[in-house]
Amino acid sequence: MKKKFIEVKNLYYSFGGYTVLENISFVIDKGDMIAIIGPNGSGKTTLLKNIIGLYTPQQGKVAIEGQPPKSVRKQIGYVPQKFSFDRDIPITVHEFMGLERCGDDNHSKKNISRALKEVGLKNIKNQQLGQLSGGQFQRMMIARALLHEKQILIFDEPSTGIDIVGEQTIYDLITKINKEKKVTCIIVSHELNIVNKYARKIVCLNKKMICYGPPETAITAKNLQKLYGVGAGLYHSH
Amino acid sequence: MLEFLQYPFMIRALVAGGFISVLLGWLGTFVVTRKMSFIGDGIAHASLAGIALALLFGWATIPTAILWSVFIAGFIYFLEKKAKISSDMAIAIMFTTGMAIGVILLHFYKGYQPELISYLFGNILTINNSDLLSIIIAAIIIIILLFVFYRKLLFTTFDSAGAYLSGLSPWIYDLMLYIITAVTIILSIKLVGIILVSALLVTPSAISKMFANSFKNFSIITIIVSLIIVLSGLIISYYLDLPSGATIILTGTSLFALSYLGKYLFNVCKQY
Repeated sequence: MKKKFIEVKNLYYSFGGYTVLENISFVIDKGDMIAIIGPNGSGKTTLLKNIIGLYTPQQGKVAIEGQPPKSVRKQIGYVPQKFSFDRDIPITVHEFMGLERCGDDNHSKKNISRALKEVGLKNIKNQQLGQLSGGQFQRMMIARALLHEKQILIFDEPSTGIDIVGEQTIYDLITKINKEKKVTCIIVSHELNIVNKYARKIVCLNKKMICYGPPETAITAKNLQKLYGVGAGLYHSH
Repeated sequence: MLEFLQYPFMIRALVAGGFISVLLGWLGTFVVTRKMSFIGDGIAHASLAGIALALLFGWATIPTAILWSVFIAGFIYFLEKKAKISSDMAIAIMFTTGMAIGVILLHFYKGYQPELISYLFGNILTINNSDLLSIIIAAIIIIILLFVFYRKLLFTTFDSAGAYLSGLSPWIYDLMLYIITAVTIILSIKLVGIILVSALLVTPSAISKMFANSFKNFSIITIIVSLIIVLSGLIISYYLDLPSGATIILTGTSLFALSYLGKYLFNVCKQY
């Protein structure tokens, strides 16, 4: 029997009596690339936080290679929707990437430069975080995950506030890492056309799981109607 | 020229001020980065209850206020992280509760209490040798803690989820920061007072933010600026015979205004 890499089983989570996730179940294979879609407030970020072990399910379970996420959390890289710190505070890319140790100082410098180069960012290590564009910031976060050879990468709306070119660059990069390094990627996104193009499986979430499967079976007019409550569909250019 | 050095109270104030400014400056970089500038005000004001308790029962004021402030810091942390109340709301609740308890306790105190004004607005004349010793010992312990846990505090400050995923337990460092900030604020009360102490947590960082190009520089410049503000404020207050706490704060504000103006003019000149 094929071993389940990430398993979410009958997950239930609520905040102060308000149900956010109800009976969510799906399995992610190693090296897969999945997208989670759903309207605002549908529990996408809460699901991610359960997967990384920041939240503990009130019912059901999340397991990574059969272990609770907390015990294997060093394998996971997480790029949140937003950071809570003041972005005007002067911290350089090098300092930020070095927050998690990766060898001694000398090794660290070389490794950081190499990881930045890998995501197409050169000569920015002395730049301040606040000076980076949204796209550069996301790529830097990917470089940081590469630096620590994370096996699972989780992105919470990676292209928010980024233009079409930047968005394409980020998703191409995520795809490259997923294919070349066999890193399992989970992406929360609102961009149906993007997830249709890049994700191999899609979780449609609106507190309950509406559907799970490859884009062609998941992104249907019926599912989208159930998900968003309005008619929605993919844009097909002719 | 340096006649103020003849007076033991000035030497005590300068030594205490030196240690406190290093602590407040350094801690300020974390507090400002976490957008928690209000915490200094909250803990300082809430400490009135601890001071009132000590005055009412004749206990040692600073140790009682430290214990009380640690309790307050822990409670703010609990409200924020466990009861999911936003940081500013948690601080505001404890701020006003502490003040209210303090006012009620002081209501039962018979007679005039001149010491109270010193705690509210600071008075360097009240810093005695045992206060100085407490400040030095506590400051050294806190500085050691900051050195030892610097990287972890920094990681949890900038990226709590990332710190957790690297194997750390961010709550330990969050709580540690709250507690050492609370202790530092209480140590500073005799120097600048409950009402004014939070400015020293924020103003040096606000000034250094204008000039620093890395977090390392930010921390170093903030500590230097903090030292300059406190020591020059104390000396100015001596020569102009003004209340020390208020003079220190106004020195900081003046330096902030000058720095802002200087940077603005520099940027204007650079365009031409």
